[in-house]
Amino acid sequence: MYGSASTHDLPTTAATGLENEDPILLAEFEARIARGEKIEPGDWMPGLYRKQLTRMIEQHAHSEIIGSLPEGTWITRAPGFRRKMAQMAKVQDEVGHAQLLYSAAETLGKTREQMLVDLINGKSKYSNVFNYPTPTWADSNVISWLIDAGAIVNQLANAKGSYGPYCRALDRICAEEAFHLKYGHDAVVHLATGTPVQRRMIQAALNRWWPAIMTFFGPSDKMSVHTEILMRWKVKMASNDECRNQFLDMYVPKIWEIGLTVPDEKLAKNEATGQWEFTEPDWEDFKRVINGDGPCNAERLAVRRAAEENGAWVRRALLTPKTQYVRPLA
Amino acid sequence: MNRLGLPDAPTTDAAKGALDQFGTYEVFHQKKEGAPFVYVGPVHAPEADVAFLFAKEQYSRRFACTGLWVVPTAAIAVTAYVGDQESAYGTLPLLAKNPAPAPGAADDTAAEEAAYAAGEEDYDIFHLKKRGKAHQHVGKVRASAPAEALQVAKAVFGDQRPVVNVWAVRAADVLRSGDDDRDIWATTPEKKYRDAISYKVQDRIEKFKAEHPATHQPAHGPQT
Repeated sequence: MYGSASTHDLPTTAATGLENEDPILLAEFEARIARGEKIEPGDWMPGLYRKQLTRMIEQHAHSEIIGSLPEGTWITRAPGFRRKMAQMAKVQDEVGHAQLLYSAAETLGKTREQMLVDLINGKSKYSNVFNYPTPTWADSNVISWLIDAGAIVNQLANAKGSYGPYCRALDRICAEEAFHLKYGHDAVVHLATGTPVQRRMIQAALNRWWPAIMTFFGPSDKMSVHTEILMRWKVKMASNDECRNQFLDMYVPKIWEIGLTVPDEKLAKNEATGQWEFTEPDWEDFKRVINGDGPCNAERLAVRRAAEENGAWVRRALLTPKTQYVRPLA
Repeated sequence: MNRLGLPDAPTTDAAKGALDQFGTYEVFHQKKEGAPFVYVGPVHAPEADVAFLFAKEQYSRRFACTGLWVVPTAAIAVTAYVGDQESAYGTLPLLAKNPAPAPGAADDTAAEEAAYAAGEEDYDIFHLKKRGKAHQHVGKVRASAPAEALQVAKAVFGDQRPVVNVWAVRAADVLRSGDDDRDIWATTPEKKYRDAISYKVQDRIEKFKAEHPATHQPAHGPQT
């Protein structure tokens, strides 16, 4: 659900390593992708493909499990029994999505142990939006609606990507997402069309979250060598700019129709070009936060670390001498 | 740290031993009575009973289910993967003699006794029809080893084309939900808050728009 087209790393000019790959195998691999066939775990693949996909799927998994925290904290305080149950069901699903995605990443050769350790140690990234707090219930609704919406834009694109296990996981995730988006929209509409106090609350939450929402798809990725290769290999299915524009096209009208405003005076659609214009996000600030200096980074990782440490005795108790590890098949 | 009472940032890196996350089991799911079992993904678990519990949670939390099978990943024999228009059976080594008893021979009790004495068991066979899709159960064959099971499957199911990849697993290695335990799959359909369809906002939006004619939308196009 919280997947994003970028790997949460800012663009690099790192070498591709393709010059070291067997040219015949590489050509066959690229031909398979070009004719629309999926790659399955046992296939030969270039190192860059394996590395980029592992990072992308792993970060998507981390985003699901970390992303459940700013919403999960509101389960006990959501207004009314029905909303508590619905928010709990949504969070259950997010954790389940993390499981599906860790499994998909695992087929590429990185162990779950290593992925979980890299998250806790701050080595692996997750979607930066979750490094911000949800001070009111309305903040959690903005996530449930608009961050979920952004993630769905990415997921629908990536579901047509080339790697079989990721496609299968995304199909499953997209099916479960339907109620999440509706729940989020319903809650935002409820507040926006409610009493003056409710309207102020949701508007304030949207004002707080809009800057993060605008960074959700990552910085503009003018066609670098990397982007071009990843698109040819159907790892990246759309540019960050395309995804962001699609999101704005779909959701800004829905925000406006319930009387909410977006805190960006420049935000407008250029009807001639079909492109939305907006104030460029502060990418230096984004870099600072994603590298650890945000309001909630330390807390997010501390919660994960506590969960892992507190559960260790259960895992030790369950382990039997006959347990063996084999990489999952698909 | 804060209200959660979390410890301060650690000074040493976390580490996990091998098998901290156990081994894996592959899961097959039946969406309704009579439908074939289809591969849905793995679970990490220390043993089959726990794998079954995790699989039920993971793969039927939001999807209708009438049956679930779990099998240790290591117990699955896998052929090579071929392209979407080919047959994976073509990659199996050719054998000197015909390994497959004719399907009709199973009706002959004497032949069946002989086969049993030879150490033959049931093997479940799964086909992947297209890359990116999921393996689906096609039936059972009798064999005394996985490699032989694949050969027998070739004789029995090999004309079902295309088949990109084949899995064979000894039936005894599979933990299956019982026919008598169908109550496991009963859900609580009254819990509509989990259904997208129970969220209806359009009326509320229309009512709001009728009461508050649009004043917030900026003019289309750039201001020049």
